[in-house]
Amino acid sequence: MERSFKKEVTTLRLGDGDMFHGEGILGVTKALLQSGVSYVGGYQGAPISHLMDVLSDAKPLLDELGIHFEVCANEASAAAMLAASVNYPIRGAVTWKSVVGTNVASDGLSNLASAGVKGGAVIVVGEDYGEGSSIIQERTHAFAMKSTMCLLDPRPELPTMTRMVEEAFKLSEASNMPSVLELRIRACHVYGHFDAKDNVNPLYSRNNKIPAAEFDFSRVCLPPATYTQEKHKIEHRLPAAIKYIADNNLNERLDGDVPEIGIIVQGGIYNTLMRGLRQFGLADSYGKSRISTLVMNVTYPMVPDEIADFCVSKDAVLVVEEGQPEFIEQAINAILRKKDVNAKIIGKDVFPMAGEYTSEVMLKGLYGFLSKYAPAGLNVKTVLAEIDQLFSDRDGAREILGDGLPLRTPSFCTGCPERPIFSALKILEKELGPAHISADIGCHTFAALPPFNVGNTVMGYGLGLASSAGLAPSFHKRVISIMGDGGFWHNGMTSGVAAAQANGNDAVLLVVKNGYTSATGWQLLPSSLRDRNGNKRDMSIEKVLRGFGVRWLKTVRTYSIARMVKTLRKAMTTAEGGLKVIIADGECQLARQRRIKPEVAKRLKDGKRDVRSRFGVDEDVCTGDHSCIRLSGCPSLTIKPSSDPLRTDPVAHVNNDCVGCGVCGEVSHAAVLCPSFFEARIVRNPNFLDRLLWNIRSGVIALLSSKSPTVAS
Amino acid sequence: MSGLDDTRPTTLQVSAIGGEGGGVLATWVVAAAQRAGYPVQSTSIPGVAQRTGATVYYIEVFPVSIADLAGKRPVMALYPGVGDIDIMLASEFAEAGRAIFNGFVTPDRTYLIASTHRVYAIGERSDMADGRYDVERLFDAARERTKHAYLADLRQVAEANGVSLNAILFGVLAGIGQLPMAVADYKGAIEDSGIAVGTNIEGFEIGLNFSFSGEPEITDPIIEKNGLGPTTPEALKFRVSSEFPESCQTILLEGVSRLAGYQDIAYAAVYLDRLSGILGIENSVGGDGTVTAEAGRQLALRMSYEDVIRVAQLKSAGDRLDRIREEVGAKDGEPIVVVDYLKPGIDELCSVLPAGLGRSLISLAERQGWRDRFNCGLYLKSTTVTGYLRLRLLAGLRRWRRGTFRYSEEQISIEAWLEDVKGTLSLSRSLATETVECARLIKGYGETHRRGTENFKLIREQVIAPALSGAISTDIATDAVANARAAALSDPDGTRLDDVLAEISKVTIGNAAE
Repeated sequence: MERSFKKEVTTLRLGDGDMFHGEGILGVTKALLQSGVSYVGGYQGAPISHLMDVLSDAKPLLDELGIHFEVCANEASAAAMLAASVNYPIRGAVTWKSVVGTNVASDGLSNLASAGVKGGAVIVVGEDYGEGSSIIQERTHAFAMKSTMCLLDPRPELPTMTRMVEEAFKLSEASNMPSVLELRIRACHVYGHFDAKDNVNPLYSRNNKIPAAEFDFSRVCLPPATYTQEKHKIEHRLPAAIKYIADNNLNERLDGDVPEIGIIVQGGIYNTLMRGLRQFGLADSYGKSRISTLVMNVTYPMVPDEIADFCVSKDAVLVVEEGQPEFIEQAINAILRKKDVNAKIIGKDVFPMAGEYTSEVMLKGLYGFLSKYAPAGLNVKTVLAEIDQLFSDRDGAREILGDGLPLRTPSFCTGCPERPIFSALKILEKELGPAHISADIGCHTFAALPPFNVGNTVMGYGLGLASSAGLAPSFHKRVISIMGDGGFWHNGMTSGVAAAQANGNDAVLLVVKNGYTSATGWQLLPSSLRDRNGNKRDMSIEKVLRGFGVRWLKTVRTYSIARMVKTLRKAMTTAEGGLKVIIADGECQLARQRRIKPEVAKRLKDGKRDVRSRFGVDEDVCTGDHSCIRLSGCPSLTIKPSSDPLRTDPVAHVNNDCVGCGVCGEVSHAAVLCPSFFEARIVRNPNFLDRLLWNIRSGVIALLSSKSPTVAS
Repeated sequence: MSGLDDTRPTTLQVSAIGGEGGGVLATWVVAAAQRAGYPVQSTSIPGVAQRTGATVYYIEVFPVSIADLAGKRPVMALYPGVGDIDIMLASEFAEAGRAIFNGFVTPDRTYLIASTHRVYAIGERSDMADGRYDVERLFDAARERTKHAYLADLRQVAEANGVSLNAILFGVLAGIGQLPMAVADYKGAIEDSGIAVGTNIEGFEIGLNFSFSGEPEITDPIIEKNGLGPTTPEALKFRVSSEFPESCQTILLEGVSRLAGYQDIAYAAVYLDRLSGILGIENSVGGDGTVTAEAGRQLALRMSYEDVIRVAQLKSAGDRLDRIREEVGAKDGEPIVVVDYLKPGIDELCSVLPAGLGRSLISLAERQGWRDRFNCGLYLKSTTVTGYLRLRLLAGLRRWRRGTFRYSEEQISIEAWLEDVKGTLSLSRSLATETVECARLIKGYGETHRRGTENFKLIREQVIAPALSGAISTDIATDAVANARAAALSDPDGTRLDDVLAEISKVTIGNAAE
């Protein structure tokens, strides 16, 4: 990774009396240190990458405290790390993106949760659910329930989030259950402040090692201990957790002055609820609400008495619970039924079953609840009419704009080395007909969006090749599988490559190697050229593949589109069976730019010669059919109005963001599109020879062109 | 009511495009509020949207300082609320439109600051003709649905001053005074960041003092219409002004000028002869020259078809080097090397061969399936003396153009199209206009050109010809041509055109059966 987090690291050293300012996930990182954690691990992914990035740069601090930090191979490895807390009273935390990471981790998690923990074990998950999400939409909640783990969903403000980190450890220790701390995307990225505390030296650590091994068969996941563990969850752990939650007021009850109705809300949604209530005139900006509210900072297990006490003597209670199934609402109904409390529970009747609870969803949900259940004394008629007006005004605005606002989907960055791979696939498609593309997770998944629309299935990270195993034997031509280098190391080399080799599958695999897990923020991989300290590494994808017995193996520089087309064609048509792997090699351009920009700036400053390359389109040669854009989609390859008075369609145009990767020109070449593209090499700090040549050339050209009839347009 | 406090945070959304630094702007706002001692919260969902998608940063600043709050903490929202946004900062105009569409800009409270430049989305860029969203709608919405709109092409201002757009927007934000911080806090935020402080302060000042008076212009990248070239012959100019109605003259003069440069004066004269024929018919059916003008536009383009000679002419034009230098931002004293990406094949070779030879070779290539196989990829350094000479040599083939295969093919096709225009013109002016417009399908090079020509032919045979023969009524035919053309331009694979033509043929057959 080319980014440095040294600045963030300094905030981790703050202590009693200091004010911490920063992002939510950084606050959580700080809270781990304040909780006396002995070890931290995880696998990167938005929105929790930052936790790992910052700790990666915090080596001196971690050394002082004796904390071990591990960049895990995948979430399963991270979950397995928590085994340290099974036998020994040491605190540990791991992190990943959920629900996908939790899926990968679930084998380890089930075993961990069954064995139970002695030391506090906390899993910080970035709950990537909702409109900005990049993954399948499921709830982590189900995992907490099925494996009997505590689930914390704190109010999304730094003091509560950081307090809940410490509580999560204590809760884990009090109940022997691992705790899951669930943070939504916006909560991870929320910038705020809290009062820092001193970091705590862990009980046992690299600086103070555990003196003796413990063997306790009841902690081993093997029958008959597993049966006992299952009982222990119900008879001991859950009651202990419920007692701890209640005794320490982890959930917050905020009483209002309207006795008839109340609201139970997941902690993570609390701020959105309060804003909604304020828009209805029922709360103020300080969180004072007229309607009593129970904020569940812990959403599993629930505290039955707390729920019953809150609901008793109320006519109707609104449950604000994001996602489906509505586990909390169902549980509340069951609790009230058993306790014979007759408050009506309203939840998914007024809120949508699926999808994120944005401010708009909240407004509409509250509208539905209040219009039906607001007591007569709470005159909401006027405010309901105002909300109606708000939405009808918006309809008016939408009429002006029409439905055609251009969609802006994510795509490959300017100069991205992955773009030309898909250009090559599109070009080959014209020749060989559409192929089935078994896609994978990574930036390359964006190929499924315009302009490429390439990628038929996506089954999970590193599973591109594995997900072709069923289809390939029954498909009329070879299926092309894609896998990034991130996915390769995460699991793809075993789930895909080793399996295909062992089964003797006739398969084509494109490994997209850009040197980082780029989509999550340029974290390093085993095959990255150097580690964080700049030391060379000796692991490579090629070596693994050779070791696995792959014989048909080609490495192609991604920008060489013609070669890529040729190699792909060969892989698709060769008579040779078995696995055919093409490593598409090209460094992530964002990372590259981050690396070379300061180098170039320095060279220029020192007066050294530097050649900058940029592409362009001769607009009088371009006829405005935009084929080049459909085969490239580079953000810097755009359109502009034609300056030709006779042409009405806009022409292609390369803007100033161009980094000179040359894909537009190569595409135009490989697909035989048009002669409009040119590369301009600009010589900065030219030497004598450069200047001499230029003077000769421009002189000759001027001489010749002035004699010629000028081209009119 | 029940002791509820009225104070509310000032809410601000930054709508930007991924990878263009909206995050930096948000960071500055937070830092400025923090410096001034106000509670501030920001959040975002940068996730995948980072990569060229639409990104949103949402910020709340509480107008009571942390000191005055004495331990009280406001509850700040993480989502922008419909009807609840005080300031909307859009670094691109369609993103301002999106914010309005989502209800985050409302006339009762929202100050909109937007740069009116467009960054075209992929759907707009990849359209086969012109897929751009109508900016007039954005202006209308921005004017009507805001408390106040500060609109200007601030990107152009940024580029002209060599500063970043973000810094200008930040300055404008400070200037409108809707947040509780002082100008010094804003500047301090930039200084504290320690990155490109000098230029960012400069940009900030520009934004702070920017005058939004006057109507913002619709700004696309600068359009410099070429105007008449020096080769426009006087005699032909006279013909245009004496023989054609005034409404046609601008376009026709352009056409004459272009064709004289493209080939010679005689060729430009042929252009006017052809248009005279059309004007005659248009006059006879009571037209005002509109069809002739549009035909003049398309005919000039068709007659200046892009063969190898033309490309060489354009690539060796005298002003090209200067234009490229300016476009790529080469500074004075910085030499440039221009490498042209050319890939001539059999089509290009045949285009300059004598008609008979070219025709034989093309049909041979067609039979053997060679047409797309033998392309010769060239990276021509056209700024070297030898490279430039090669271009000039090719451009010099112009004097033999009339004898080439491509020339004869093009003229046959042009004549046929003009016959259609004339035929339809006597039936209906709108049908004739649609027929003229079909020439837009023929563009591009190589396969793109062949596909366009093929589509053009299909529409001719299946819609225009039946209309001329009376198999379908002119009204239906007019719509049908327009639909078919739109379909042909809507997807590169031609599936939609096939569908539309199938629909039309049902009508044709239906009529024939009656």
